[in-house]
Amino acid sequence: MTPDERASEPADVVELPAASRATDIALDELEIVYAFIYARVGNRADAEDLTQQVAMKAIPRLRQGAPASAIRGYLFATARSVLGGFWSTRLGLSEAELHEDLALALPTSPPSEESADTVQQILAHLSDNYRRVLELRFLHGYSLKEVAAEMNSTVGAIKVMQLRALRAAAKVRPLE
Amino acid sequence: MNGRPENRVEKIVADLLRGRRLKLRGGDAEEKAAITAAARLAGARQGPQRMQPAFRKRLAQSLEHAPSEGWITRRSALVAGIGLAAGAAGGVLLGRTAGPEPVKASETIEPVDGRWIDVGAANDLVEGQGKRVVAGGIGAYLFRRGDQVTAVSSICSHLPCELWWDGAGGHLACPCHPAKFMSDGRPTDPYALPTLNKVHVRVTPSGRVEVLGTA
Repeated sequence: MTPDERASEPADVVELPAASRATDIALDELEIVYAFIYARVGNRADAEDLTQQVAMKAIPRLRQGAPASAIRGYLFATARSVLGGFWSTRLGLSEAELHEDLALALPTSPPSEESADTVQQILAHLSDNYRRVLELRFLHGYSLKEVAAEMNSTVGAIKVMQLRALRAAAKVRPLE
Repeated sequence: MNGRPENRVEKIVADLLRGRRLKLRGGDAEEKAAITAAARLAGARQGPQRMQPAFRKRLAQSLEHAPSEGWITRRSALVAGIGLAAGAAGGVLLGRTAGPEPVKASETIEPVDGRWIDVGAANDLVEGQGKRVVAGGIGAYLFRRGDQVTAVSSICSHLPCELWWDGAGGHLACPCHPAKFMSDGRPTDPYALPTLNKVHVRVTPSGRVEVLGTA
């Protein structure tokens, strides 16, 4: 692809006329927050809602024009709180119950590397069958029927195995 | 048999893999570990995600215009006449709404030319369970404890969405955002959302429940 062709493509980042420097910084930081949240809720609609909530909560802090490094910690702390609220509401649990066995810790690795690494760490701790069913289903996008065929099993048995594999995956504590 | 946990979790997994929103319900807490693990795997399957341009644009507009235009305050005020939680968007958004002074959160709704509307028999209210009623232009949830009946607005204090009664969880839940409220209208989560507006309610000597609504 030539530079000219690339330049003619739709811009990935929307141009924001008159956007303030503070907004630019905030949006860049919120991109990282979005990736962090998406990696935990697994779908765009919920990730957008929660990122919006983080942004709204953080407006006063963002408007102070603080440098990116100063607001990142605040944004991630807010993101954790918002995620905790999300899960407790959706599951109908108090946050105390939720935190009994769910890790919502901050990542120590850059978010750009976090998702893939986390999945590999989780899968590496599972038995062969559990790892295989989750790999086929989530990473390769197989249907239950296709997984069953691949693993010489039945759809019913694969469904049960998938549930057990997910329960086992939840017990794995990847380095966060 | 959809009641089996493997079927329920498969439904959630299938929705996630189709890119759909997480729709959970009472009883799903039993499988909270499996569900959150599924969400993480689904979230990781395509690598790190970036915001869609349209969402990024909306977010930028919110950041740019929220303090000067107070869109959340205005939307909330339009529907329920309430302010925005200081914890949700900061005090800078408050006090920007033009026109009549909005009713503050947790205050009782006083409709102009309000009239008492019969919404049913007190005996029909199940203790500990919310019941949604409509009194003209006012929607409310009724709660009975012994002989006492209380009522709160059925509109969320965050966004103008109709709350629903989550009987299993014993709270009012917002369908638009993860927010929930107890029967007295106080929020249960840590968002510092305003308490729901109260609604005038009374029980007549003949045991009928009346809500101060509109014609």
